[in-house]
Amino acid sequence: MVDVSAPTKWLLRLLAVGYVFFLVAWPVALVVKETFSDGLGNLVEALTDSQVTGALQLTLMVALWAVVINTLFGVGISLLLVRYEFPGKRMLSAMIDIPLSVSPVVVGLALLLVYNGRTGWFGPSIEEAGYQVIFDTPGMIMATCFVALPLVIREVVPVLHEIGDDQEQAARSLGANAPQTFWRITLPSIKWAVVYGVVLSLARSLGEFGAVKIVSGNITGRTQTATLVVEAKYQNFQQSTAYATSFLLIFVSIACLVVVAFLRPKHDS
Amino acid sequence: MSIDVSGLTKTFPSTGSGRRGDFVALDDVSVSLPTGQLTALLGPSGGGKSTLLRIIAGLDTADTGTVTIEGTDATRLPPQKRNVGFVFQHYAVFKHMTVAKNVAFGLEIRKRPKAEIAERVDELLKLVHLSQFAHRLPSQLSGGQRQRMALARALAVEPSVLLLDEPFGALDAKVRKELREWLRRLHDEVAVTTVFVTHDQEEALEVADEIVVINEGRVEQVGTPDQLYDDPANDFVMSFLGEVTHLSGTVVRPHDIDVSTSPQFAGAVEGTVSRMLRVGFEVRLHVLTVDGEDVSVVMTRTHARSVGIREGSTVWLTVAAGATVVPSMRAASQVEMAG
Amino acid sequence: MTTALLDGAHTPAGPESPQGPRRRRARRATPRNTLTRGAALGLGVTMMWFSLLVLIPLTAVVAAAAEGGWDRYFSVLTNSQTWAAVTLTVTQALLVTAVNVVMGTVIAWVLVRDRFWGQSLLNVIIDVPFALPTIVAGLVLLSLYGPNSPLGLHWAFTERAVTLALAFVTLPFVVRTVQPVLEELEADVEEAAASLGAQRLTVFRRIILPSLVPAVMAGAALSFARAISEYGSLVLLSGNRPYETEVVSVRVLTFIENGNNASAAALASVMLFVALVVIVALDLVQRRVARRG
Repeated sequence: MVDVSAPTKWLLRLLAVGYVFFLVAWPVALVVKETFSDGLGNLVEALTDSQVTGALQLTLMVALWAVVINTLFGVGISLLLVRYEFPGKRMLSAMIDIPLSVSPVVVGLALLLVYNGRTGWFGPSIEEAGYQVIFDTPGMIMATCFVALPLVIREVVPVLHEIGDDQEQAARSLGANAPQTFWRITLPSIKWAVVYGVVLSLARSLGEFGAVKIVSGNITGRTQTATLVVEAKYQNFQQSTAYATSFLLIFVSIACLVVVAFLRPKHDS
Repeated sequence: MSIDVSGLTKTFPSTGSGRRGDFVALDDVSVSLPTGQLTALLGPSGGGKSTLLRIIAGLDTADTGTVTIEGTDATRLPPQKRNVGFVFQHYAVFKHMTVAKNVAFGLEIRKRPKAEIAERVDELLKLVHLSQFAHRLPSQLSGGQRQRMALARALAVEPSVLLLDEPFGALDAKVRKELREWLRRLHDEVAVTTVFVTHDQEEALEVADEIVVINEGRVEQVGTPDQLYDDPANDFVMSFLGEVTHLSGTVVRPHDIDVSTSPQFAGAVEGTVSRMLRVGFEVRLHVLTVDGEDVSVVMTRTHARSVGIREGSTVWLTVAAGATVVPSMRAASQVEMAG
Repeated sequence: MTTALLDGAHTPAGPESPQGPRRRRARRATPRNTLTRGAALGLGVTMMWFSLLVLIPLTAVVAAAAEGGWDRYFSVLTNSQTWAAVTLTVTQALLVTAVNVVMGTVIAWVLVRDRFWGQSLLNVIIDVPFALPTIVAGLVLLSLYGPNSPLGLHWAFTERAVTLALAFVTLPFVVRTVQPVLEELEADVEEAAASLGAQRLTVFRRIILPSLVPAVMAGAALSFARAISEYGSLVLLSGNRPYETEVVSVRVLTFIENGNNASAAALASVMLFVALVVIVALDLVQRRVARRG
């Protein structure tokens, strides 16, 4: 391998570390420091604020639903894309990635246009049936599902490709039916990819802001998620609560990253 | 002498948790490789031959020792300045360049005029029979074709020596054989000093003018294929170049043992045929001698039938007249057989 | 994270190509539809959910935008405040993408080719912008570049704040697309170039860089797409000042909040179109790379 000269090496190292330090590491560290500026006071204050705790509960509920739905959907569609041939497959596989490139604001608008109770395409009929989507939890779950949709699929598809279908065929030749093959052979082999996708989806779901802001209506105490509380508190000059809530979100997302970092080498080897 | 290597030592720091100390790849290696010849560095995997080749090319540096190429001391020269052609086992193609561009690379680096480059590339592609693929990308070539392209690329800069590191190692058996013969003919045509690394004794015996046998970081023997085969310096060289067996304290080739059904010669060793296996025109015998040695013997089917040998027969074994024999030094189990 | 990971599905013809045409013929002979009854049911359910969640809502945006015809587009886009937002967004996205192309490649290089203490920490920190909620990202940047900046920088509510926020959220894209490609570059290719006489810089320019270009472009496209659609991280940091720091997403949101869904849809459909162009471009790049093998 052709190596760079020592001065270049140090220059590049300094550039990379410096950039990441000033852009990410220092600012994140400052928020953590800010949170603990008076010991645990800020955290305690935030955690006793019913607006915050309510939002945290709501966020958790929405995120869990979205993760469950996306996992089921993601594993299913990955299997379909890798193990079967059907017309329109390429098209579908290209469309899966759309949510990654769509602005959260556009996601919110799109769901609003279809599901809002007054003028939406389906909204009025759903409302007549007694359900509310927009400005309520179902809409928030949908928005979260939308933005995190490809994450499980992007983890599972390459692994399915890699393991091939030899083992599945062997299982079938030994008399296993489709569900048995899935539970005993396929799922154990893609287990880590699924877990990885779930963790990424969880991080993304807990943190969704723009799309949820639009479809939830941001109603304090009812449809306000943790990220919306951060905005509201900051703009209300309750900065310490905003920092504390942010800290909780940072903590969870970094925990997700660490989990992923630990999982990655395991399922790679 | 085209390449002179003297006193080369190279150790690699041990990796992993083994803590078995550093790995000695080359241990005080000195060898001279003659001009215009096709030399094979032969030995088992991990014996240090690739390391030697890479040090000659400047891709690795030795801990001690010197490398002289065509009379100039190249020990401290970077690979760019050595003017050697190097061919890698896995082709090392420049994927984003066409075949012609790959071959032209070294000439472009040397800032040769465009017309001259085009002409030279044309000529070389003809030499390696790839003219019709000039504008293809390497990914559209087969393994054998890629390796021929890599060879043309190395030859383009008119190197003073051409170094090939297991050049046919990644190819399947049939292509390997074809390319081997083709390399021999190419060398007769181009006559550049060529050194290639191989662990396949058949390849070395068939292609090389001279063979350097390297094992455990040391040179075991240097010589022509005939010298090595007929007059091996030790039992390692002998066993590496072909099948061997042990008979009364000597190492001998299984087809160099005479078998008779009666004790005709003095010193013949008595034994019983414990196993008999026929492979085509050949018969392989395992003879358990009275000394407790398990000797393998190879003879033709016709001979075996005429002597009347079958499993359980009592036979007397002698080393044939004129056979190559080496005193047995190491236990046969320590010798790693090639391919 | 590159798009079209699913491209593994169409592997390029193998290197030992003599069998290429035959294999291709064999593939065409296999039935185009291998769905079992269970799988077909699964596909049906899946497609229904995908349509309800993604396809129909996005169609609704385009439909709502189309209702007003070209006149609507024209009036929305020529509104000076909207136009200012579009210009700002595109300029900043381009600027940040350029920064990412350089810094992302440098960081990927350092992560792959260098060894130093704390390297694995750096590797993990690169992913923080992916995992952090966008609103928190804004808050995080405010702590160093806002009114209470320990560096004395007061970049909040300025164009610089937009640059910062976009650079933050798009940091991982180029790094994560270039890194695996750099890891898989074979050392012997560079050695081959060196033994043919190429100096370090030449090896980098003529051998390494061309291999990285597709990955850099893929990362650049992703970070551009992300930058023009960014919203959350800008809310607290940029102040959303019309004509100064207001980006397209914020403009769309303002339209929505004012009940002007038609104008919102018009502007949103333009964003969708740009996203679509990026996806198609990426797919083309990746297919070309796949052919190179």
